[in-house]
Amino acid sequence: MKNSTIVKLSIIALVLAAISFWSGQQSYSWFPPQASLEAKLIDGLFSFLVSLGTFIFLGVLGTLSYSVLFQRAAKYDYSDGPAIEGNNTLEIIWTVIPFILVVWIAFYSYQVYSQMSIQGSKDHSDSEAIEVYSRQWAWEFRYPKNNVVSSELHLPVNQRAFLKLQSEDVIHGFYVPAFRVKQDIIPGKTIDFEFTPILEGKYRLRDSQYSGTYFAAMQSNVIVESPEEYQRWLASSAKAKRTPSYNQAYQEFNNKKSKLRGWRSIKPAEPPLVNNLSPGE
Amino acid sequence: MSSNVLHEQENPGNSKFGFIVFLLSESIIFLSFFVGYIVYKTNSQDWLPLGVTELDTKGPFINTLVLISSSFVIYIAERYLHAKNLWGFRIFWLLTMLMGIFFLYGQAVEWQGLPFSFTDGVFGGAFYLLTGFHGLHVLTGVLLQSIMLQRSFVAGNYDKGEYGVWATSIFWHFVDVIWVILYLLIYMWK
Amino acid sequence: MTNITNVAIEPANWRRYFSFSTDHKVIGIQYIVTSFFFFLVGGLLAMVVRGELITPESDLVDRTVYNAMFTMHGTIMLFLWTFPVLAGLANYLVPLMIGARDMAFPRLNAVAFWLVPLLGTIMMLSFLVPGGPAQAGWWSYPPVSLQNPTGNLITGQVLWVLAVAISGVSSIMGAVNFVTTIFRMRAPGMTFFRMPVFVWTVLAAQIIQLFGLPALTAGAVMLLFDLTVGTSFFDSAKGGDPVLFQHFFWFYSHPAVYVIILPVFGVFSEIFPVYARKPLFGYKFVAVSSIIITILSAFVWVHHMFASGTPPWMRMVFMASTMLISVPTGVKVFAWVATIWGGKLRLNTPMLFALGALVMFLFAGITGIMLAAVPFDIHVNNTYFIVGHFHYVVYGAAVLGIYAALYHWFPKITGHMYYEGLGKLHFILTFIGTNLTFFPMHPLGLEGMPRRVASYDPEFTFWNVLASIGAFLLGVSTVPFILNMIGSWSQGEKAPKNPWRAIGLEWLISSPPMIENFEELPIVTSEPYGYGGDHALVANLEHLEIDHE
Repeated sequence: MKNSTIVKLSIIALVLAAISFWSGQQSYSWFPPQASLEAKLIDGLFSFLVSLGTFIFLGVLGTLSYSVLFQRAAKYDYSDGPAIEGNNTLEIIWTVIPFILVVWIAFYSYQVYSQMSIQGSKDHSDSEAIEVYSRQWAWEFRYPKNNVVSSELHLPVNQRAFLKLQSEDVIHGFYVPAFRVKQDIIPGKTIDFEFTPILEGKYRLRDSQYSGTYFAAMQSNVIVESPEEYQRWLASSAKAKRTPSYNQAYQEFNNKKSKLRGWRSIKPAEPPLVNNLSPGE
Repeated sequence: MSSNVLHEQENPGNSKFGFIVFLLSESIIFLSFFVGYIVYKTNSQDWLPLGVTELDTKGPFINTLVLISSSFVIYIAERYLHAKNLWGFRIFWLLTMLMGIFFLYGQAVEWQGLPFSFTDGVFGGAFYLLTGFHGLHVLTGVLLQSIMLQRSFVAGNYDKGEYGVWATSIFWHFVDVIWVILYLLIYMWK
Repeated sequence: MTNITNVAIEPANWRRYFSFSTDHKVIGIQYIVTSFFFFLVGGLLAMVVRGELITPESDLVDRTVYNAMFTMHGTIMLFLWTFPVLAGLANYLVPLMIGARDMAFPRLNAVAFWLVPLLGTIMMLSFLVPGGPAQAGWWSYPPVSLQNPTGNLITGQVLWVLAVAISGVSSIMGAVNFVTTIFRMRAPGMTFFRMPVFVWTVLAAQIIQLFGLPALTAGAVMLLFDLTVGTSFFDSAKGGDPVLFQHFFWFYSHPAVYVIILPVFGVFSEIFPVYARKPLFGYKFVAVSSIIITILSAFVWVHHMFASGTPPWMRMVFMASTMLISVPTGVKVFAWVATIWGGKLRLNTPMLFALGALVMFLFAGITGIMLAAVPFDIHVNNTYFIVGHFHYVVYGAAVLGIYAALYHWFPKITGHMYYEGLGKLHFILTFIGTNLTFFPMHPLGLEGMPRRVASYDPEFTFWNVLASIGAFLLGVSTVPFILNMIGSWSQGEKAPKNPWRAIGLEWLISSPPMIENFEELPIVTSEPYGYGGDHALVANLEHLEIDHE
């Protein structure tokens, strides 16, 4: 290859690398706030993948664009192009390099996954675990040690959260985008799940595994607060009377005033009786 | 439309190739059921339904012997046909069919006497699914054999080759092999 | 030789296309037209979905209706559009490309086709039964798919399972036919490494159908029994294992996506050399990569279940295998780029569609590698990121690739030229529409919007509005295509044998081909894609057909 070509290609590569790095940095802003330790790990992995992906995408797109713009046949030129059938060296290069890249990505991902260790270990006492009940179409959180039932998940900040996920009917999905964690809940099994919230705030919990008619309405809130506020909330809830929580699916199903006609649906479960009545979502 | 003239590219070899390909695919269904059975059995604490301590193996064992023997019988029938001995072929072919019918009869008798049903837990479901699906294939085999038997009475039926008999025979061996695996899984594996 | 009186097919005799014809060319067209009808039906369902999602609230249709819409949209698009249209293209082209007069089993071929309108009718009828059609997503995961509010025996879900079973039977018939044809009916001189890549990819795809479909059938049979007689295979309330269904389902349905994309790759490999006037770069590598993809495709299915109850070791193993499959895929992408590079490009409609499809596939492939990374997938699994990813594949790459094929071989199939201007308009609308619809789904997924939702939190509104506008644009984009196809077929300029000056057996015969394709079977003497070279493709060109001109 000519020297000038090598120089040109290197400059292009550097420019692409800069753009790729920049988009990798931008990618952090495409997520919800980093409310858990796991979020930081995942966002970092994603940023790396975005940089790599951008480089490859722009490289290939650039090559194709160049061809489309500058390598068109002249209007009346019906002759063939050069009879180049292949190049073994190139074939090997573009097999080996991607292979190395995916091995690298796999390794990095494996590291991140083991650092996350969201699937329950067992080196904590079960009594610390919060019981999460999911049913069509409501979330119910029980704090057995404190005798509190809630329709919203309260967690103390900077403490590992231990959950026991259960479903009473179909497969649901426990998903908090701000934490970047998700786990399908299989009926008939209790699944130990854990993560570490690091940012105080109110976040959304959404059912992520399609669970029937009112699937989209099966959402709740996760409130991450200081340990003191958390204890105060537990104490005051324990004293409060238990009343049915607001449940969107239940409301919609029982308000037959809707003019939208549909087919028969499974009846939503009765809303859970909770100590802590939160404002309706 | 498409003419019936035998062109350069048509030949019975294509039909044989296609049939083998089909059987290979069909075996994957059974393989999937077998895998399902294995997963269910290894993951459950109480595998057999309440009240059932073990399966009676005497009847199924006899059935197994009959089915395996019938594979030899059908092979003999094929050899007779190959040697152009039509009556030899027909007798052993009919014998194969009778053995197949005996197998189905034995299956029905076993089913009748079982204390659990299709909907009795995962075991009931898996048991009847596997044996039923296999039994369906035995029935199909016997039906194919009866068609082949009828055709053997048509003059000049084998002038262009014995593809139908070959395919029915291979199918029968296939059904036999499936049964052996099934027998090991359901009746022998504790 | 033979004394066949070869007659050109009369395209004006439309009755042929409604008959039980055993001619692979007729069957191919039957598949293509039937499936395009269902493409429009599936598209209409998508319009309802996108119409609902313009606003956060569930206010356009009842939630049960919405759930039926997305369920049937996915189901119809896969089983009644994508699989049959590709079967149709393969049916039409493979015998021509290998120099055969027809498929190995012409009557089986016809039966396989006629099962498609049957299963389509069942799917459509399911809208009319009490309880409505299936509403459990196109995966029909139990236990949701086992819930039966009406208590009837014949429900939309039951009809769904029956229709899918029929689809499986049809596909297996087709697969046996294609594999036998390709192995045993290649013209003299056509070794495996002289087959066009399209034939390689059809072979690879049909092998996948053969080993994958039976697993789906097994799962479907068990689901059907759970639904109708009350067995407990997947019902956790009765001791069953719902995750086992997922394994059965995905063991087929993941390789199924390669059944879809491999022939599309084949189309790219045929089109780029023609419109760049250059041989396919690294033909042998491209051909072999199809088989490698087939083999690897059997070992990646659990990546659809990273968030199910799968154990960590399983997640890691399948992460590795999923990442690995990107390597042979990358080989193909680079080969196409190298084919195009340095060529003499003509940007006809087929080339535009193929280029657009390639770029969108590249994007989808990159997001695919991201999804293979388990920690990232845990965040975006079951969100719109996934919906965006796979639509870039099935719409961006596959639909555009299919359009490319339809335009490219339109002259051969119909004997007429299509209107190039309308074709370019179709391309522009489609390319813009596809990106506008499916790109916004990626940020939506990153922000945490789940898929399959009839309503969403207001923060997601902006991207949803964009996506819906794009979707309506896509609906509009089909109009120039339909007009072009109908108008050109009836009024278009007569097409010569080889309007694109392409190298391939199908371009040596008349447009449309004679009933038995070749007067005398071609004797192949060189590798395909010999652009710029001087090897003759066949030794007996003069004998291939009677000149009717």
